[in-house]
Amino acid sequence: MRILLTLLGKETKALFSSSIAYVVIAVFLLLMGYAFTAFLFLNRAATLVHIFFQAAVLFLLIVPVLTMRQFAEERKTGTLELLLTAAVREINLVLAKFLACMVVNAVMLVLSLTYALVLQAYGKPDWGPIYSGYLGLALFTASLVALGLPISALTTNQIVAATIALGLFLGLWMIDALGSLLPYPFDNIVVSVSLLAHFTPFATGAIYVSDVGFFVSFILLGLFLGVRALTRR
Amino acid sequence: MLPMLVADRLSKRYGARLAVDEVSFAVEAGEVMGLLGPNGSGKTTVLRLLTGYLHPSSGTARIAGFDVVEAGLAVRRYVGYVPEDVPLYSHMRVDEFLVFMGRLKGLVGRPLRDEVASVCHRLHLSDVRSTAIGKLSRGYRQRVAIAQALLNNPPLLLLDEPTNGLDPRQIIEMRDLIRALAATHTILVTSHILSEIEKIAHRVAILLDGRLRGVHTLGGHAAEPRLRLTIRGLPQAGVQACLRTVPEVTDVTVVGVVNGECAEYLVQGHGVHVAESLVATLVAHGFGVREIRPERADLETLFLQLTRTEAPACASS
Repeated sequence: MRILLTLLGKETKALFSSSIAYVVIAVFLLLMGYAFTAFLFLNRAATLVHIFFQAAVLFLLIVPVLTMRQFAEERKTGTLELLLTAAVREINLVLAKFLACMVVNAVMLVLSLTYALVLQAYGKPDWGPIYSGYLGLALFTASLVALGLPISALTTNQIVAATIALGLFLGLWMIDALGSLLPYPFDNIVVSVSLLAHFTPFATGAIYVSDVGFFVSFILLGLFLGVRALTRR
Repeated sequence: MLPMLVADRLSKRYGARLAVDEVSFAVEAGEVMGLLGPNGSGKTTVLRLLTGYLHPSSGTARIAGFDVVEAGLAVRRYVGYVPEDVPLYSHMRVDEFLVFMGRLKGLVGRPLRDEVASVCHRLHLSDVRSTAIGKLSRGYRQRVAIAQALLNNPPLLLLDEPTNGLDPRQIIEMRDLIRALAATHTILVTSHILSEIEKIAHRVAILLDGRLRGVHTLGGHAAEPRLRLTIRGLPQAGVQACLRTVPEVTDVTVVGVVNGECAEYLVQGHGVHVAESLVATLVAHGFGVREIRPERADLETLFLQLTRTEAPACASS
């Protein structure tokens, strides 16, 4: 645990000591603020449903930027060799990078809570869908980070890592559209791996154990693949 | 006593290419061993196999009795490793980096602070402790890399091309540093520079195209000295026959003619008194001995002998 915390401290500091975290957070809040303001003045409804979908799409674009450098840079500069020959377990390294990326995501989510507070100040929002929406976003972003890490671990090129992650994320987000074109049971299979299909209930105020299980499984699979990518030497 | 490091038929394959081919050697505790070979000969791969960073395709390696694959984490506590090209976190300060690496090696609290202060003092890094690593010269970066390897005092140091990229003054300093570390550590050091290994190591393993071509003790040829004799007169069979009558002599070869009036002979013998016996015999038979001097079979000679049949392969690599 001590080694995990040491690595987490180093990873978090690396993200916040460079401009990456600040740029990502600033762009996220700017676009989210614009969307929130526009939606509020156009619809005059005390809800964040559309904001949650907007945030999910932004995370699809932002998370590859966060994860692309995690292992690709360490591998390219050779510091991965330094860490893995210093009695550091691969799982600790993967978890530290996962949690550090989640710290940045958490900052964005916490700062976006101001939109909910604005709704509370000037209206009477239903807090149930807000809670479920934030839970959904947390699970959703964690899944993206967990999947982005093994991609970063397989290459030394950050651009390649980001491009593959972006393509995979967008594909998994939109794949349910393909379901309607496929016969049974393939349509169900395709829909069952769709990020959008599993995120929609959270954003609209419904929490299903199956959706929570999907995202948790997704996270564990991503972390497992990250460890496997590091141990494949 | 068990050797500190044993590599037993260690091989590493990358796809169809065999980077390391059944390499076997041992390093005794307290020894400085050099791993010599041209660029691309597999030295770095061997070190990566020994540290557990790479897993061998076949064969085993044991450090302090532990298998490097099966007991990887235990092994790493016995090893301080300095990779080639000195990978460090440029954004970190020297002390920040050493504290980070110390924590990864299990040090905490006061022992960690003491250890960091100790390695900084030992490697003359105290003045740059607060400097960002990215702003340091190559020589200082190399010292920082060695400092992190020394944290927690591992008995075995694996140094991959430690003089790479250093200027002549820094190379001398690094050589002195390695000699000083040899007093308290077992060291395996790689280099593609013959003279560097010769000045540092007790023994040298020569690696070519991933295969070990021999392990040789440096400066250990006293028991079988080669002597270069200059005898008055042109080469003659009588001198050779006379030299062969000396019991300690095992081989005699004619080297050539010097100044048109003397002949040079190379004599291989054994025993510490072979020179005395040779001179006494030659004088007794009336041959004029102009000069006799030991010829050291240096590393370069050994390397050239070993690689003579591998010249095309070396040239291509």
